[in-house]
Amino acid sequence: MPGIAAAEKAGSSPQPTPLEEEVVALFDQMQDRLLRYLLSTGVPIHDGEEIVQEVFLALFQHLQRGKSRRNLRAWVFQVAHNLSVKRYLANRRDQQNLVEPGEVPVEDTFIDRAPNPEDQLAGNQSQARLQSIFRALPEQDRRCLSLRAEGLTYREIGKVLNMSLGAVALSLGRSLARFARAEER
Amino acid sequence: MSSTNSHLSDQELLLAADGELPPIRAEEAASHLAECWTCRVRKGEIEESIRDFVHAYHGDLDPLLPSPAGPRALLKAQLAEMSAERSPAPQDWRIRWSQFATIRYAGAFLFVTVLALLLYFRPVFQSRQGFHIVPVSFPEPSLTPGVTAGVNRDQICYSKPPKNRIVPASLQRRVFEEYGISGAEPRAYEVDYLITPALGGADDIRNLWPQSNSSAVWNARVKDALEDRLHDLVCDGRLDLGTAQRDISSDWIAAYKKYFETDQPLQ
Repeated sequence: MPGIAAAEKAGSSPQPTPLEEEVVALFDQMQDRLLRYLLSTGVPIHDGEEIVQEVFLALFQHLQRGKSRRNLRAWVFQVAHNLSVKRYLANRRDQQNLVEPGEVPVEDTFIDRAPNPEDQLAGNQSQARLQSIFRALPEQDRRCLSLRAEGLTYREIGKVLNMSLGAVALSLGRSLARFARAEER
Repeated sequence: MSSTNSHLSDQELLLAADGELPPIRAEEAASHLAECWTCRVRKGEIEESIRDFVHAYHGDLDPLLPSPAGPRALLKAQLAEMSAERSPAPQDWRIRWSQFATIRYAGAFLFVTVLALLLYFRPVFQSRQGFHIVPVSFPEPSLTPGVTAGVNRDQICYSKPPKNRIVPASLQRRVFEEYGISGAEPRAYEVDYLITPALGGADDIRNLWPQSNSSAVWNARVKDALEDRLHDLVCDGRLDLGTAQRDISSDWIAAYKKYFETDQPLQ
């Protein structure tokens, strides 16, 4: 395919700089995790992909300017979170059918998708139960849980969501208490 | 919590598990846990809850994650562009350049002359990066050669149909800039994939072009019909995927004529 061959040639002709390679390597490590987190908070997939691109372009500029390399994992999650909130607020302004302030429409989050018949046949009731509990949590608690599921420490979650360590622990403790109460029923 | 009589709270158990308790309290928590079955059981419950949640979280979201190949290629292209924009000219070149004032002034004069001519012939030539005719029905091959996402026939035919996505606004702006039509009325153009994602086209700026809505004959609807036709032919096993990608990227109008056996778009 002449066109595609030309594109590949064009794409490979300038040798990537070490910084470009570093950012692409971080993208390989992090992009699934970032996108999954964004999806879990109700960001549509196309917006999520665009946000992830913006995050790594911002990371490139951040490193290009010689800024801190400390805990880049939390840094990329923090930028993704901020961009998703910013985009959500911008979309809200553009749309007539608004949802409650500060709340991502919960019906769009991963927990809302009803289990399909195959899941039900497989007896995946535990997953459905967890989903319904997750759906009922406040937005901040859902975000804390999702970030925890992505392997962030409580300190990192606090940095991403701009919360104190105690507030993160309180949020997760509250969520887990709800899981436990549901288990007892 | 320092007393063995008062149990650890869930928050303390969580912070202890992450090593986030201050050292003295961490020691107290450890000794309390060693003695207290209630707290040990609760700690186990918390860990189990987190494990179950992580399992449900991945089970539900992982199937939605797209292939990273397209976004990765797009990022690489954008990073290369940003690096090129930022790269300063080497110092020694600048010094040498400053020594050739006459040549520099002659060059400036030539540049101004060429610029004036280009402005005079503006309806014919427009572009920020080069001199390209504003596209109407056909993409500029040097800007939009077509890029695939590295998927195979089975992924195209048996997975959820990847309909043309809405191209993000920022990417649309970049496409317009590439083509030197950044000041154009947005409704006059539709940023379209040259190789549609339904045929394995990538989310890459080199696979996107501004298709004019003003074309009455070879317009976006006609190209959509070709994309559907090629998808059907590929999935029916009557056409090789690579051939379909090659034909639509090299000359989509010729491909339309070939696969619909007509010289004009069908109504």
